[in-house]
Amino acid sequence: MAEFALAPRSTLGGYAETFGSVTLAEVTGLALVSAAVPNGGDDAFAAALAEGLGAARPATGDSVAGDRYGARLLGMQPDQIFILFEEPDPNRAAETVADALGPDAYVTDQSDSWAMLRIAGAGVRAALERICMLDLDDAAFPEGRVARTVMEHLAVIVLRDGADSFLLMSPRSSARSFLHAVAVSVENTAG
Amino acid sequence: MLIDHPLLGPRDAQEFVILGDASLIDRPDWQAGDAAQRFHDYQHLRDNPAGEHRELWFHEQGDRSWLVVTRNTLTHEVVKVELARDVAIARGRDR
Repeated sequence: MAEFALAPRSTLGGYAETFGSVTLAEVTGLALVSAAVPNGGDDAFAAALAEGLGAARPATGDSVAGDRYGARLLGMQPDQIFILFEEPDPNRAAETVADALGPDAYVTDQSDSWAMLRIAGAGVRAALERICMLDLDDAAFPEGRVARTVMEHLAVIVLRDGADSFLLMSPRSSARSFLHAVAVSVENTAG
Repeated sequence: MLIDHPLLGPRDAQEFVILGDASLIDRPDWQAGDAAQRFHDYQHLRDNPAGEHRELWFHEQGDRSWLVVTRNTLTHEVVKVELARDVAIARGRDR
């Protein structure tokens, strides 16, 4: 029997490009797992986050850092958070979170569903303001804020992970179209 | 049009989809003796006011919450936005 060694390949093939002051690059190696709150289980859910990830429960639209797995918890909607973390074995992302949180959270692996892009640099807001409806000003969207929205008719999760840095997550199936939309906007605004 | 989301602040109406009259929250009791008549009224009878109107909106491209938006149908002014869950609980529902 033939032996195959299949090499994993990221959604955007490790894309990275710099336009003027802005760099746009695919982010790989991060796991993304959703955790939903069982009906009426808010207190147990918060306790499980504190115990298993060393993190408080983020409010919807906010994110907090946990002190395990390099985790960042994103408040996506009133009864659901996303957990972004470093998982050495991509096949075990959901198990890692399920083990950490126990039965007080409903856990689903989202890692392969979302392509991740980081856009960073001095001109980042000028590049994003043409395609993103959110107000990304410091006052309205400070570091650590997270939001789900649409850009170019494609769903996106926007996380501000630095003063001039945003992590963009978009569904894997349309990731190349999304990358094209963002890259064109960066190219058009790079000075 | 901007909808001032109670949790997230003002968001573009493009992120939302509308379902219809907020009276859809008050689903009739299917075990009531006159359930057929009540469901007929629930499904088919709507007020169509020229002025303030309460509607259910879903933040599909956002935090996926259902909202009760009070909107003026003549001016498109958004007067009030509440989480539908809070409205339902205030009316005696369990969630």
